[in-house]
Amino acid sequence: MRARVKTAVRPIRAAIAAIIFALALSACRAGSPAPIFPPGAQVLHLASLDDVPTLDPAAGYDVDSWMFEQMIFDTLIRYSDSGVDLVPDIAAAWTASPDSTVFTFHLRNDVRFSNGRAVASADFKYALERVLDPKTRSKGMEYYRGILGAADFAAGRAKSVAGIETPDPSTIVFRLSAPDPIFPHKLAMPFAAAVPREVVARYGEDFSRHVVGSGPFMLREWIGGQRIVLVRNPDYFVKGVPRLDGVVEAIGVNEDLQWFRFETGAIDLSAIPPAVFPFVMKTPRLKALTMRIVTMTTRYLGMNCQMPPFTDVRVRRAMNYAIDKRKLVAVINGRGIPANGVLPPSLPGYDPELRGYPYDPARARALLEQAGYPHGFAATVWLPADQTMMILAQSVQQDLALAGVDLKLKPVGFAPLLDAIRQPKTVPLFFSGWEADFPDPANFLDVLLSRAQWGANNDSWFYDPQFDALLARAKPLADPARRFALYREAQRIAVAGAPWVFLYFPVTWQIRQPWVHGLALNPMRPARLDRVWISPHPSAK
Amino acid sequence: MLAYVIRRIFFGLIVLAGASLITFTIAYIVPADPAVAVAGAKADPQTLAVIRRQLGLDQPLYVQYARYADRAVHGDLGRSYIRREPVANLILSRFPATAILAVSAIALSLLLGVAAGALAAAYRDRALDNWLLAAALTLVSMPVFWLGTLLLIGGGLYLRWFPLGGFDGPLSLVLPTLTLALGSAAYYSRILHASLSEALDQDYIRTAIGKGLSRRAAILRHALPNAILPLVTIAGLDFSGLLSGVVLTETVFNWPGLGRLAFEAVFNLDLPLIMGTVMFSAALVVAANLLVDLLYAWLDPRIELGAGQS
Repeated sequence: MRARVKTAVRPIRAAIAAIIFALALSACRAGSPAPIFPPGAQVLHLASLDDVPTLDPAAGYDVDSWMFEQMIFDTLIRYSDSGVDLVPDIAAAWTASPDSTVFTFHLRNDVRFSNGRAVASADFKYALERVLDPKTRSKGMEYYRGILGAADFAAGRAKSVAGIETPDPSTIVFRLSAPDPIFPHKLAMPFAAAVPREVVARYGEDFSRHVVGSGPFMLREWIGGQRIVLVRNPDYFVKGVPRLDGVVEAIGVNEDLQWFRFETGAIDLSAIPPAVFPFVMKTPRLKALTMRIVTMTTRYLGMNCQMPPFTDVRVRRAMNYAIDKRKLVAVINGRGIPANGVLPPSLPGYDPELRGYPYDPARARALLEQAGYPHGFAATVWLPADQTMMILAQSVQQDLALAGVDLKLKPVGFAPLLDAIRQPKTVPLFFSGWEADFPDPANFLDVLLSRAQWGANNDSWFYDPQFDALLARAKPLADPARRFALYREAQRIAVAGAPWVFLYFPVTWQIRQPWVHGLALNPMRPARLDRVWISPHPSAK
Repeated sequence: MLAYVIRRIFFGLIVLAGASLITFTIAYIVPADPAVAVAGAKADPQTLAVIRRQLGLDQPLYVQYARYADRAVHGDLGRSYIRREPVANLILSRFPATAILAVSAIALSLLLGVAAGALAAAYRDRALDNWLLAAALTLVSMPVFWLGTLLLIGGGLYLRWFPLGGFDGPLSLVLPTLTLALGSAAYYSRILHASLSEALDQDYIRTAIGKGLSRRAAILRHALPNAILPLVTIAGLDFSGLLSGVVLTETVFNWPGLGRLAFEAVFNLDLPLIMGTVMFSAALVVAANLLVDLLYAWLDPRIELGAGQS
């Protein structure tokens, strides 16, 4: 009998022991304690949902990686804090040949990596050769293939890239195989940041965990899925910068949790979840803390110009007239601007005169009738399977129903969607978007709508010989006025051809604590934190 | 007993081999290009071709699988396409957080579930039973992301007793443990209620009470040990599921566990990481099943492992 009693209480005892064990273990295993900054230190606390994929500048090609890479590394030139004008970083000055095939950069001589070694021109050459080396599997290799000798180097036929010359430690010359006036923009991408060869050689593929750069901050701690901590680089070459002593980002924090933490003062900057956005806008105290920027991004509903009924330009125009873009923007809390064309308003070369397609369902129906679809037609739209896209797609579905178009929604994973739209005659309609890599119309028009990009980024399979001819004429021009004039003309052809329903240009909103100063949002890159500072506040740790 | 364990481990290895083949094949036939996942949506065809060659994705399926299997049996699960870190390191760095949460959640759910189930059965068809039934139905019906958010708002935002997510010591364990445990405890309590009610109608309980044993003692000493066995099976399977990671709870509480790692792997089509997390989870399920069988024998001496199988 006694034995049976013991049997009954065994699991209960085991459960209590397990809880005590788990609590004790959590005390031991819960990461290392948060880094201790001295009292009064200026530490900016952030939170993000996604872990930083990598800190290796050759590998990263996403907002999270770039945000930290641009704090740890320096490029020759960079964008200004709130704009897209190129300003010196390590290069003190630079020149371009009249035909935009030779670019010469003169480096500062007071820049050091955080391991103490001086940064030299050879470090930039090494960084780019690393990007071009297929073994690195860099996402940036395509941007530097225009350098003379890059193809030979990538194919293993040359030991170095002939078109990158380093006549002395403070000069670097790039020779290109064809004119490329926007090449300096490619050097402002983190791919082209200086990295110390000896550190990369030591850690190999694990360099990402042991990064050494010359930027304003240094990596102190990175616990995957938990947090990343940067500390001030005391030897940064710009005196008095950074103003912060450190940056701590909690990782894996969803938007709602970010908001809770923001409300308690635990983090200093936050995104604004859709559910609380109207509340923030109606609360003067909070609204005053918001920051807004029109990003260099466009969202569109692509139509496959090789698949009926979208082979007919009248149908494509009808789709544009049938969809109420203002309603779409309202659906996303007004966080967007109705699109009038391909190029967003923050992009140099934007055409404010372009009218686009206003909402006009009667005209849409008339165009469909002319095209031989008096009773409309049925179509399936592919879209990434996320909640916001579903809401947007339902709005589009309602609008198109009024024009007689019976739209079926097909949510799929992003990767299969991307793969499918690159196959010819596979996806008739799809939601997509594009974020600028450079502030230049070529990065939209050439990449998204030229014949050369069929099967790649021209996912609507659009082709217009006149459009392509204008792109070819504009590409080598260094004079912005002439260049933008041609691109404006090309954009008008694209809008008339209507390969997309031009939906909206997204607007980013952020909120900061009242004690955060000096922060500027950038339309194309993550915000830089070099000049941010914090005034005394009650939540200071 | 030892022969039984060895036999189970052997079959477990066959299960793992099957799981790896199925996962690899599914990942291969998914209509998406891992090279695009590696290079990004904007990559040109030339870059994609280079990356496919580098990763061996241009080889036939059987070659890719043979290479993977060869490396895996030598303990190398490969490197993540996206993070470029060894998959084994990524999994092992996330597993402690998951294991701690799983142990505390299963233990608390068993404690609460057994207590509530035993009370409900003891007071069958009375007010307490009805209240416990209502509470159980409510908790079982609550989605974890909703319950978790409520607990965060109450315990973290307003009362400020617990951290707002993260993995920072024992206090941070409380809310995610409650989130996972409450629903399971409610479910366990109903299972125990049913099996205990059945046991209480048996002759041996009536006999025990007739011989002068109190109802409480009859339940605790005689009915409960017999009624608890079905719960062990379910809790064992739940435990292996918890050890594989719980995506929603981890996301709500910013818990750096395996579930989120696996979710990110699938989202990014990071094949080595998908394979690694699936294989690790499969191994945990196999191990948990074996453990449950051993536990059965420990709890009920009538059960003889391996009997009748020779």
